[in-house]
Amino acid sequence: MTVLVLTCEEDLTADTVVAVLHDLGVPLVRLDPADLPGRVHLSADYGTNGFHGYLRTNERMVSLNSLRSVWVRRPGTPGTRAEERSTWLTLESEQALYGMLTSTRARWMNHPAAAGQARYKPWQLHIAQQSGFTVPATLITSFPAVARQFADTYQDLVVKSVSGKHPDDPPLVLPTTRISPDADFTAVAAGPTLLQQHVRKGADIRLTCVGGHLFAARKEADLEEVDSRFAENGVWKPAEVPEHIRRSVAAYMTATQLAYGAFDFAEDANGTWWFLECNQGGQFAFIQLDTDQPIAEAIAAWLAADPLA
Amino acid sequence: MRPFALSYARPAVKSATETPYTYDATRQLNVLSDGRQATSSRAVLMATGTTASTAGSKTHFDD
Repeated sequence: MTVLVLTCEEDLTADTVVAVLHDLGVPLVRLDPADLPGRVHLSADYGTNGFHGYLRTNERMVSLNSLRSVWVRRPGTPGTRAEERSTWLTLESEQALYGMLTSTRARWMNHPAAAGQARYKPWQLHIAQQSGFTVPATLITSFPAVARQFADTYQDLVVKSVSGKHPDDPPLVLPTTRISPDADFTAVAAGPTLLQQHVRKGADIRLTCVGGHLFAARKEADLEEVDSRFAENGVWKPAEVPEHIRRSVAAYMTATQLAYGAFDFAEDANGTWWFLECNQGGQFAFIQLDTDQPIAEAIAAWLAADPLA
Repeated sequence: MRPFALSYARPAVKSATETPYTYDATRQLNVLSDGRQATSSRAVLMATGTTASTAGSKTHFDD
């Protein structure tokens, strides 16, 4: 039985897991969907004998019926390295590849349907509330007057991207940014805007969930620091997971049907962990580098387990 | 009118870091010029930033 790893070639984070799978003697095929069509080929038939199919990349070929798991790490978009790229070709390639793969009995980290839903940050907040996490007051609106009212109520706010994505034309970065309570919200009408109560944090918490295994790490933060992704200071250290957080994570993972999730929390002066987001494809190697927590080993073990009966 | 959030955006700084490793299709992972796995070098991991949290936020939904 084979593990299928979908990611780009330069992905060193994937390397950390591939190396463990090699050590375990688990067969694997690694490919980038961006190479379909081209270096990646596929075929499947749905005949009288049921479903059969295979994938080929470089010199490796794998039967779809022999897949034990699929790890969607950091795949490129299908069709984007084709000689004649088009939106239509991408759609055709995406439908063929993921349609075939979801026809198998393989376990997914994470299933595309669950991953797609879990990317919606507004939905993350909803599920987080339902799961018992402490969630900062948040407003997503295109009404300037509603934004004004929210600012009057909470005073100390941050603005962040609703999608989590940065603008690319031209390339910009949009860190989570503190805004003045006197801000002019007129431009909220020009696009849905996410405003959130600013949590004055003493530390950032990154909790990586792999199946049922939790790896929490803590990094001291300056009180004035808002977005730790753009701060160079601090070292991640292993942290204990409070029991109530453990229960909430379990509830969240069940509700979202995710096998993997990287949770971000802000820890305030009282030690409360405020839920910020859960990235279904979040990085983990930067945590493992600092803490030596065996996250890659846990992912490899999950991928190497037997497929669904 | 420019969306409210974009008034807090700033230009992306493109990293000029050269990738000091190449993909080995046989081993299905990246290797250094001396044949060692790229992930065996902490310096490479730190220098390339490919494993850092912000690596994803610039190009993907997740980080």
